[in-house]
Amino acid sequence: MAEVILRNVTKRWGGFVAVRDQSLSIRDGEFMVLLGPSGCGKTTTMRMVAGLEEPTAGDILIGGNRVNDLPPRERDVAMVFQSYGLYPHMTVAENIGYPLKLRGIRGAERERQVRAAADKVELGELLHRKPRELSGGQRQRVALARAIVRRPTVFLMDEPLSNLDAKLRVSTRAEIKHLQFELGVTTIYVTHDQIEAMTLAHRVAVMSQGEIRQLDTPEAIYDRPADLFVAGFIGSPPMNLVTGQHSNGVFIAAGGLRAETGVARHAGSAVLGIRPEDVTVAPPDAADLVAQVYAVELTGEAVLVTVIAGGSRLIAKADRAWRAEMGATIGVKLDSRRLHLFDAETTKRLNPE
Amino acid sequence: MSDRAAAARRRRLVWKGLEAAILLGMLFLILFPILWMALTAFKRPVDLFDLTILFTPTLDNFRTIFGAPWNIGRTLLNSTIVAGLTVLISVPASTLAAYAFSRFEMPFKGALFFTILATQFIPAVVVVLPFYLLFRDLGLLDTHLALVVVNLAIVTPFATWMLKGFLDAVPTESEEAALVDGATRLRVILDVVVPMIWPGVVVTAVFCFILTWNEFLFALILTRDDAVTLPVGITRFRTERGDLWELIAAAGILISIPMFLLASVIQRHFVRGMTGGAVK
Repeated sequence: MAEVILRNVTKRWGGFVAVRDQSLSIRDGEFMVLLGPSGCGKTTTMRMVAGLEEPTAGDILIGGNRVNDLPPRERDVAMVFQSYGLYPHMTVAENIGYPLKLRGIRGAERERQVRAAADKVELGELLHRKPRELSGGQRQRVALARAIVRRPTVFLMDEPLSNLDAKLRVSTRAEIKHLQFELGVTTIYVTHDQIEAMTLAHRVAVMSQGEIRQLDTPEAIYDRPADLFVAGFIGSPPMNLVTGQHSNGVFIAAGGLRAETGVARHAGSAVLGIRPEDVTVAPPDAADLVAQVYAVELTGEAVLVTVIAGGSRLIAKADRAWRAEMGATIGVKLDSRRLHLFDAETTKRLNPE
Repeated sequence: MSDRAAAARRRRLVWKGLEAAILLGMLFLILFPILWMALTAFKRPVDLFDLTILFTPTLDNFRTIFGAPWNIGRTLLNSTIVAGLTVLISVPASTLAAYAFSRFEMPFKGALFFTILATQFIPAVVVVLPFYLLFRDLGLLDTHLALVVVNLAIVTPFATWMLKGFLDAVPTESEEAALVDGATRLRVILDVVVPMIWPGVVVTAVFCFILTWNEFLFALILTRDDAVTLPVGITRFRTERGDLWELIAAAGILISIPMFLLASVIQRHFVRGMTGGAVK
């Protein structure tokens, strides 16, 4: 077990910068999720930790040792791949036992450890099968067992759930979380799925275009997004973002939206953000904004109401019994404690902590 | 309506018939010489130019070519040694070369890879004399070593190209998994890559064996007695007493047997894919 430190790491391919001057320190035993859209450099970052890519500049430290020049096998990390990366010609037992075989653990001892790892992910019955005889979820569990069988200092997981169907994804997610808790191994987990990031991580690094935009706990990232990118990326349905003008602590947008922001210093154009669950339907006379209903969507647990006012759309979350006609005039109320204000030019958050 | 349908059916039938006739014709062209050789190999000299299919078969021809003065067994052994050694050296070497070309970045990779094949653009007749002088100066004329070296030069470029094709089709995730699991690059190639492209390795080995087994020009120029291979050995049946067709045919059978066996090996290996279940 060890902490992982990236110090000013850059990865460049010709003129393309995949990761730009990135520093990141992952604590011993921490579950760190790298989250971002495809092409943001999150997988490249992980592959550099694994030793599958060489950083163009900067240092990577595992447990205090600089590992830049070490091949993957000397880094004592284990990796789970998106497409499993199993050995098709070996049985499940041979797949799981391969890391042990390479370390000279043989015979009964290897068998015992393989069985223990397989039992942990409930593969005990399938040890003699070949990967092609397994379902996707089973294959991913073989990959997990292969990773945990030798107690590495760091787990690396590259979108391990993205090839599984929705139902399996939820159950496997819980299994991964439990495994990490049980083993306490430092884990770096790459995903583009914000739910995975929110549910699994101790801390999340939100990445875009090769840079970390925000590094914090899931709560902080959800409640206090550092900039417009993070605000728009995290949350489903996404945060409402309305462009307008801000002065003397008041935000005003076309269509009559007016909100006290509690931000004193900023004057000029700004973007107001508010999450759908912080927007509620209210009678027009007691509302912050009167608007027309653009769409009503029942999700089962709630009703999402899209309203339109002055050219900007806003999504509100209403009780699941709530109904309205398209085009009807309704009022919405914004939870003033949960407003986010962003500078329209720098895209940075303006609210104080 | 039914007239048109009938006409269409008739046209289809005619085409089918034509197709079958063409295929049969081609089959005949390809198979008849083989059949004729097979028949001739079992005929007595008196029956040679008799066109009847019915004759008393004999194994005398085989006895004759294995006995003195022909000693075809010796050339059979030479061919086996040369082709076997060539395959044993070229396939591992080409696997490593193809792996490097498939997986590693290097300067001038495209040009380098093309150059490997470009060596084969030079006709053999052009280089056979320099090779003769070279091996004469080295004292290697009429040795297995000389033939193995020459055949390696012919076969390795092709094998490298073939194997790179197979390697390019294999996803790299399993290899990367093995690297992280603790394997060296060589272990990865032996434990993971080669098993995954095994059908390709077998096909390549067979291809190399066939090329070497059938090689004639270099064997003719570079050998005299000790290292003569089967294809060259056959030419000795053209004597001052005339062409001994029954012996040529018997030796032809000997040359062909490995080809038939290998063809069936290739068929078996091409049927099943090996990568199923590795990724996705």
